[in-house]
Amino acid sequence: MLRVIVRELRRIWLFPRYLVILTLGAVFSFVFFATVSGEGQPQELPVAVVDMDGTYLSRRLCHEIDATPAVHIKALYTNHTEARKAMQRGEVFAFYEIPEGIYNDLLQFRSPHLTLYTNQAYLLAGSLSYRQLATMGHLATGAVQREVLRKKGFKDDEIMGIIQPVALETHAVGNATGNYQIYLMTTLIPGIVALMAMLHTAYVIGRERQERTVKSWMRKAGGDAVKAMVGKALPYTLHYTLLLLVAEVVMYGPMHFPMQGNWPLLMLVSLLTVTAAQSAGCFLMGCIPDPSVAMSLTSAYGTLAFTMCGFSFPVDAMPLPMQLFSMLFPLRHYWLAMRDITLYGSGLEQCWPEVCVLAAFVLLLLIGAAMLGRQFERRVAC
Amino acid sequence: MLKHTAASLRDIWDVLTAEVRRVFSDKTTIVIFFLATAVYPPLYYYIYHQEVLTAMAVAVVDLSRSEESKRFVHKIDATPELRVAYRPPTLPQAEELLAAHKVEAVFLFPADYAERIAKRQTATVTCISDIGSFIYYKNALLAGSAVLLDEMETIQLAHQAADGLTGAAAEIQVQPVGFDDVKLFNPTGGYAQYFIPALLLLVIHQTLFFGICVLCGDANENRKALHLIPPHLRRRSIYRVTLGRLLCFLLIYIPITLFDLCLVPRLFGIPQIGSPADTILFLLPFVVSVICFAMTFGNLFSRQRMSTLLSALFFSVILFFLSGMVWPQSNMPHFWLAFSYLFPSTPGIQGFVRISSMGATLTQVRGEYLALWIQAGAYFLTACLSLRYINKYRKI
Repeated sequence: MLRVIVRELRRIWLFPRYLVILTLGAVFSFVFFATVSGEGQPQELPVAVVDMDGTYLSRRLCHEIDATPAVHIKALYTNHTEARKAMQRGEVFAFYEIPEGIYNDLLQFRSPHLTLYTNQAYLLAGSLSYRQLATMGHLATGAVQREVLRKKGFKDDEIMGIIQPVALETHAVGNATGNYQIYLMTTLIPGIVALMAMLHTAYVIGRERQERTVKSWMRKAGGDAVKAMVGKALPYTLHYTLLLLVAEVVMYGPMHFPMQGNWPLLMLVSLLTVTAAQSAGCFLMGCIPDPSVAMSLTSAYGTLAFTMCGFSFPVDAMPLPMQLFSMLFPLRHYWLAMRDITLYGSGLEQCWPEVCVLAAFVLLLLIGAAMLGRQFERRVAC
Repeated sequence: MLKHTAASLRDIWDVLTAEVRRVFSDKTTIVIFFLATAVYPPLYYYIYHQEVLTAMAVAVVDLSRSEESKRFVHKIDATPELRVAYRPPTLPQAEELLAAHKVEAVFLFPADYAERIAKRQTATVTCISDIGSFIYYKNALLAGSAVLLDEMETIQLAHQAADGLTGAAAEIQVQPVGFDDVKLFNPTGGYAQYFIPALLLLVIHQTLFFGICVLCGDANENRKALHLIPPHLRRRSIYRVTLGRLLCFLLIYIPITLFDLCLVPRLFGIPQIGSPADTILFLLPFVVSVICFAMTFGNLFSRQRMSTLLSALFFSVILFFLSGMVWPQSNMPHFWLAFSYLFPSTPGIQGFVRISSMGATLTQVRGEYLALWIQAGAYFLTACLSLRYINKYRKI
């Protein structure tokens, strides 16, 4: 097997282009996600106000809305259609409509209505601005109440208890502020590295077939397809596991992402995720003789992992066949284990199923190797 | 003059037919162009067709055991998003349930909850939510806020009643200004409705890109780039070759795009409220610019059949993020926003989602539309130049 590894290292040394490109690509992805969503939660989302009243009260409402950190008023309109058009142009994510005569209605106890329109076609921006603005709407009611109570002689701390009898504090486990960057990077970066490991392993196997050099490769392994496959994959296992570990060290170290659990377990899971992804690549490449067809199917399977790991849309909300299907993706198991280790501080007693399943993916490599060996004997695309 | 035009057309036709033959004789491009575009859209629709996560399990730790806290819990259970599955007596037990993923959120009512309300002080409910998936957090947050707002009104009305004020007069006191909210364009906050239009566009973008790169890689690898150019055209009229190839991919992708972006959403009941004419007019420069972009990239960087799939697949994730569907464009650093407009997917997704999901007209997406035509023009030029470059400088 050592001879296979040496042969592979030689091939990398003579033709290092893709190793360099992919390493730079991983670094680029890391920098991209670290800088693009640096705020954690989107702040100062652009919103609009349709002020049909134009009185002291409506202007004060505008001020209060603008003072909320999550949004800022980008435009004032005088009618609904203009605001809706601005939303369709993508300029604002939400708008408030203050009806005409709100001040007079208020004075005459006619309970005027504020209306909030949010754009839910952008799920994140829509739901975050919705929460802030809906709370704002109710606080606006509170502001009017506050004036009334002040006139009645209540003190400010008493007023708060009256107009806001209950408050709700929401924290996310291990990520108290609901920081989006932490949520994204902890799944996407390992996902990208695992995808690269799988494609790269698949590619180098495909190259042997394309160049018709399977014979010399097999000879170095003494005719043992499993040895040949493992020897070929090992240099990449090392490279991509190292990349993933460096990314994790940077994320959970200097970037202060939450890390409650133990490092050795996370490292073990990372290593197993890389090998599992590689095994899946070996399997597809071993089974499908046409290397570039196999490569495109591997790509299709690889991109699906980002959906099937369940970090964006939960797997429990998918149909049952898809829930079972999600088991076939190493990233799904990485995600489950990573969540337990980093956010809940769980140990092996909680994560052992994921560790076992990831380890079992190596079976796929054996099957892939067996298929390759058989095709080699029959001289199919070798 | 006439003769010259006729000759040009003839050359373009020759390139076009040669390229069509190449596409249909290559198994890989058939898989990428036809199989992927036929399988991905229904598959994704199937994955997301439940749209929302309903009845997410939560645990309630009620240390107050009062009428007020029970009412709050009852309202939580009544929301479509949440379902009270466990009522552990202490917080550590609830946290164990959370860690074991038996529940996705915990609501904690402190022992002095009812007492504070009676004293007319603010009582605080704490919600601890899982954030493994953002949907868990969003569900807990939105449903929790909705219950909170409702409960605030109920308590205030009770206070007013205790002070001897009831009926309409009390309601005016509690809520001097009424509040309505309207969720536009995706009223249920459904995931399929949000994700699929953008995803379908990305599928078109990526399959075209990788398919063309496989063909370019094949030509580069087998040193037959020159085979693409009729012998009498060598070293001149490169534009005829580029135009012929562009027309070939356009002819193949017009039916595919119409199928994926106009028919599939209709089949699966994803609302498309934009005018079909606007949609089609918008998609034309999108497909043209993707083809020209892919030809440029493929000519220059696709050295082997499989190399682009290997080195550029991870970029799909970044492209989706750059489109502004996840992280809003208004909050992207300027550098990344400018960078995102190098790729046809950004204006394509933004414009298409606005036309199809939000009913915008072509004039309302004029910025994106213009960007796509500029990209189409610029990438057509670079496609021609890159072909000239590889014919001249690479020893083929």
